[in-house]
Amino acid sequence: MSTVDDPRKALEFLQGTLEVLILRSLQSAPNHAYGISQFLEQQSEYEFLVDNGSLYPALQRLLQRRWITSQWKKSPNARRAKYYRLTPLGRKQLVAAKSKWMRFVEAMARVLAPQR
Amino acid sequence: MREWWSKICRALHLRRGLDDDLSDEMEAHLDLITAENIERGMPPGEARAAARRAFGNLTRMQEKTREAWQFPRFETFLQDIRYGLRGIRRSPSFSLVVILTLALSIGANTAIFSVVYSVLVRPLPYPSGERLVWLGESTAKASGISITWINFEHWHHDNDSFENMAAFAGEDLTLTGRGDAVLTHELLVTSSFFQLTGVRPALGRLFTDPDDTPGAAPTVVATADCWQRKLGGDANVVGESVVLDGTSYQIVGVLSPRFQFLTGAVDFYLPLGRAAGSSHKRSDHGNIRAVGLLKPGATLTQARTNLDAIMQRLALNDPGPEDDHRAYASYFTEVMAGDVRTTLLVLMSAVGLVLIIACANVASLLLARSTARAREIAVRVAIGAGRARLVRQLLTETIVIAAIGGALGLLLAGWCLRTLLLIGPRDIPRLAEAALDIPVLLFAAAISVAVGLLAGLAPVWNAGKVDLTTALKEGSPTAGTGRRGQTFRSTLVIAEIAITLMLAFASGLLVRSLIAAQRADTGFDPKNLLAIELQLPESRYKSDDSVREYYGQLSRNLRAEPGVSDVGLVMCPPGGGDCGDFWYSILEKPTPGRDDVPLSLYNIADANYFRAARMRLLAGRNFNELDRANGSRVTMINERLARQEWSDPQLALGQHLKVGGPYMEGPTLEIIGVVANISQEGLDAERSPTFYYAFSQKPSSAMVVTLRTNGDPAQSMDAARRQVSALDRNVPIQSLRTAEDWLGATLQRRRFATLLLGLFGGLAMLLAAVGIYGVLNYWVSARQREIAIRLAIGAQRSSILRLAGLHATRLAVIGIVFGAIGAWGAARWLESLVFGVTARNPMMMLLAGATVIVIAALAASVPLWRATHTDAVRNLHEA
Repeated sequence: MSTVDDPRKALEFLQGTLEVLILRSLQSAPNHAYGISQFLEQQSEYEFLVDNGSLYPALQRLLQRRWITSQWKKSPNARRAKYYRLTPLGRKQLVAAKSKWMRFVEAMARVLAPQR
Repeated sequence: MREWWSKICRALHLRRGLDDDLSDEMEAHLDLITAENIERGMPPGEARAAARRAFGNLTRMQEKTREAWQFPRFETFLQDIRYGLRGIRRSPSFSLVVILTLALSIGANTAIFSVVYSVLVRPLPYPSGERLVWLGESTAKASGISITWINFEHWHHDNDSFENMAAFAGEDLTLTGRGDAVLTHELLVTSSFFQLTGVRPALGRLFTDPDDTPGAAPTVVATADCWQRKLGGDANVVGESVVLDGTSYQIVGVLSPRFQFLTGAVDFYLPLGRAAGSSHKRSDHGNIRAVGLLKPGATLTQARTNLDAIMQRLALNDPGPEDDHRAYASYFTEVMAGDVRTTLLVLMSAVGLVLIIACANVASLLLARSTARAREIAVRVAIGAGRARLVRQLLTETIVIAAIGGALGLLLAGWCLRTLLLIGPRDIPRLAEAALDIPVLLFAAAISVAVGLLAGLAPVWNAGKVDLTTALKEGSPTAGTGRRGQTFRSTLVIAEIAITLMLAFASGLLVRSLIAAQRADTGFDPKNLLAIELQLPESRYKSDDSVREYYGQLSRNLRAEPGVSDVGLVMCPPGGGDCGDFWYSILEKPTPGRDDVPLSLYNIADANYFRAARMRLLAGRNFNELDRANGSRVTMINERLARQEWSDPQLALGQHLKVGGPYMEGPTLEIIGVVANISQEGLDAERSPTFYYAFSQKPSSAMVVTLRTNGDPAQSMDAARRQVSALDRNVPIQSLRTAEDWLGATLQRRRFATLLLGLFGGLAMLLAAVGIYGVLNYWVSARQREIAIRLAIGAQRSSILRLAGLHATRLAVIGIVFGAIGAWGAARWLESLVFGVTARNPMMMLLAGATVIVIAALAASVPLWRATHTDAVRNLHEA
């Protein structure tokens, strides 16, 4: 078994990252679960592969924390879908989480690949 | 917290909606992918299948999502509750016994607690009622006697431990000028009284300082009740006047309804300072008492010390005969409750003991059942149930049962409480306010949960000890009946027997006391004796002569009535309470020290009273016509007083009793006769020393006319009313009752306490019988096989009986020994409730012991019969 990461295999979400990414995906407009997973995959250039078994529970957790709300609506192509939308609380949470994760990523990068 | 709440909501009732919504959402998700696939040119069927593949396992996704809603602890709790309910349905007779046991004991406890809470604990309905203090004076002999006006004034103005202080005194005045004359009850109060009690006027105003000074115009405040009943409920009544004992008072206000101070009904409030403010002597006692509102944080001791210091300073500046008087202070709540306190606490303890028996019963029943469930528990453990999870489940099951029992108990308590209020004596303060309110509900919930936990712990403790392999292998219903379980159950039975013995002993004592009190020698003949309580309006009967004249004429008129054989006058009739007590000394005996002056009750009677009441004369003579107002002053004393001073009542004759003792003013009376003791304060009261003034020498406007009738005294009531009204229609009758009613009423409280304690004793016996039956029955079941084998190899029935009987007897004997020790210790507590017998009564102990043995034997007989009639062949075959 190779100890080197296989670039063809999708990344797994670290604990707590999926929630932040969902919030981010809803920043500009409400979206449904499928749209969210599409958005995350495209934005990460398919590094993340969103598993519905993680996505749906994560959405439920966000609902329970009142960071997002949901509503059934018609999609642009006239299909009914459940749309999730950021609440003001969620928006605040997103700002906080974003800066935290940016710091985390930079710190990781500095440690793992120090620039001389 | 919010997350938590939304989880609860979801777990409780949004569940189904959420489930549907989730599958809809996932279906829509699939549709979206399918549509995209079709756009890419896939055939519809394939597009759907591809979408399913891409989405993943639908059911698994839903399950994982649902987990996010769940609230695992809460869900398992609900699950345990469902499991508990299922358990109840599965064994209905077991559950019925447990639930009924709990309902009875929790119901009784809740009902009594609500009474105790209302009478003893609930804060008084005044602002800061918990800081209200009852104030009086104290001497070496008596505490809580009246305060003199001057002392009160100094306390009020010089103290630094009270926020406020108010004095009050009761009085009865006759209201005239509004129809028939009626006797009204007044409370004279200082202007601070209304601030202290927080009462507001419904009409007009309350007293101000100018009303409350000597020489002020007479003003009066009516209570709402009096305003309705006696003043016609007229809204314009303020400014009108009322005539009380001939003085016209201007009505300045009407109090808001439902205000109550102490227990007595009050019609009018009058300013006390106007009436008493001119008093200047420090020893001038009326019947003034006071209430004070302690400053927050101040203690009773501080307040007492503070007031005592004021008294000492006064004694220095203004020496008088009462320089040794000190302040008396006690919390108002305690004073209000008075001697009901002991009764209620005894009842509460008794009913608490009943609860313990119930708890023991339930524990032993649950234990028996859990032993029967040992196999089920073993299976659960074997397939991986954690110990903590099992404990939680067993406890939840018990608490579910306890909660059902508690809810039923609450219903029962509501019913009991209504009955209690109906039969309860009227003179228990605040009893009528007892209700199933929030604190009482909390109490019921708390004891239900506590009982559930306590009783539930027994099987849990047992479950922890289940030996997996034996339990699974044996597979018989007796699996897991360890020695420990037996010991535990035996302990429970012993405790039940002990407690039952204590309750049987206590209720036996009270029943015996009630009988003793009912049979008590009254000292007079209460049969066919009618008592008319009168109060002459002072405005019409100012002089002693007019009072003498009135009562003399009334006596003559009544004696002339057919059916009346004799008429006598007395101030305080037997059973009507005492008129008060006072110091005395005997002139012919050595002068007692200042602190050793004896006290005696006093009363006033005319020459005919002792004859009319048929009181035995032990020595000397009755009062007679020769004891004139201006003649040498005489007294009759009762046997108790005579024996307190002399070895023989005869020796008292001709000696002189100085009223007030050597250190106070008072008349000197020659003792001319000694009469029997009578139950002055009540049938179950101590017979106190009493001396009688002659009515001719000390007439009183308030007297009770006693009629000895030939037949039923009730038939003379109309005649009595007619005669009183014919003589002077302005004289109101305060009460008209037979002497038997007066006496009977004195036993109301005793009957109440005895009835309740008797009920609790009976309940305890019933529960204990059930408990003993249950445990022995179980013991027999567990040994059925052993007994069958013994019988099969030739044992006699009698030896089986001996085996089982020995076990039962051992438990009973140990229980009785412990119970006897406990009852003996608790007897000291009951002393104040016991009358006519000693609290540590060996006879009663024997009787209680015998009763408990009979009950235990009855309860044990069924299991013992089962044991001896075991069908050996069938039993061994089945096994």
